[in-house]
Amino acid sequence: MIFREVEDRDLIAKARRGDVEAYNLLVSRWEKRVFNYLLRLVSNREDALDLSQDVFLKAYQNLPKLDDVERFPAWLFRIGHNEAFSLLRRRRPEGDLAQEPRTSQPGARLLPIELSLAVESALRRLGEDQREAVLLKVYQGFKFDEMAEILGCPVSTVKSRLYTALHLLKTTLAPMVSREES
Amino acid sequence: MNCASYDWKAYALGELGQEDRRHAEAHAAVCAICREELATLRLTIETLSKLPDEEMPRRIAFVSDKVFEPRWWQVFLRPSFAAACVIAAAILAHAFVRPAAAIDSAALQTQVDSAVTKAVAQVEKRHYEETQQLLAAYDLLSKQFARMYAINTGMVRQ
Repeated sequence: MIFREVEDRDLIAKARRGDVEAYNLLVSRWEKRVFNYLLRLVSNREDALDLSQDVFLKAYQNLPKLDDVERFPAWLFRIGHNEAFSLLRRRRPEGDLAQEPRTSQPGARLLPIELSLAVESALRRLGEDQREAVLLKVYQGFKFDEMAEILGCPVSTVKSRLYTALHLLKTTLAPMVSREES
Repeated sequence: MNCASYDWKAYALGELGQEDRRHAEAHAAVCAICREELATLRLTIETLSKLPDEEMPRRIAFVSDKVFEPRWWQVFLRPSFAAACVIAAAILAHAFVRPAAAIDSAALQTQVDSAVTKAVAQVEKRHYEETQQLLAAYDLLSKQFARMYAINTGMVRQ
């Protein structure tokens, strides 16, 4: 567990009183997670960056409305979810979603490039709802109830989306990884 | 319990409670099919989680931007603004109630009194001198008058 000298809740309390430096620190703690979540959701770096900007702006403006500061992560990702799907809905009439989603520009890779590309490809083949469920659970580590709060749906729906996604990913990725390992 | 009653996806995702985990593990220990299912799920999740996060191309524009500026009333809550108010108040209070002001007034009064005394003395001296001049002139005129009277009456020859 990473030790933090100042907890997020303290920063939120200060930011609510207009302390912009406290909010700066809060942004620096969360921006990479939010950016990667949005990047894997919309599959475009510039869009993900613009959305991240919007997310933190809206979060700052609505910070006084946050009832429970302990729910800040789920609340922040809820804003991210809304922003991302607003963009995806705007894209839809242009037929972007019917096409293969644009690939993100590769950064530094820890895995062999083929395996990373295979994972990205497998994620893109999922439906938006299923992919988002995987992103929130596997990459962001949210619990089912937090995911339900972010997505605005019942826990049963969250589980259904995630389990379907895992089933599809398992059939796609597991044989590939097994083949590499053998 | 049969195999279908175990939620292996929830198990692999860490969503089962302690009691349910223990039951599931006991079943997996004796069921090769469920062990295989669990192993495949773990491998899938492990493969997914190894996909590295991408670095941000640039930082989020921070709250120094105009769009992040606090509302007008929040400015009054800033420590720097409050400190500035306190300093300004202290300066004003010092200007109006400082003890040195009384000392300066007394000194000024002394100076005024001294100047007045000096001016009165000068005026009195001038009056005294003028009075002496008038008395001298009167004395001179009296003598001249007495002399002329004496001449006119023949008591004194010219």
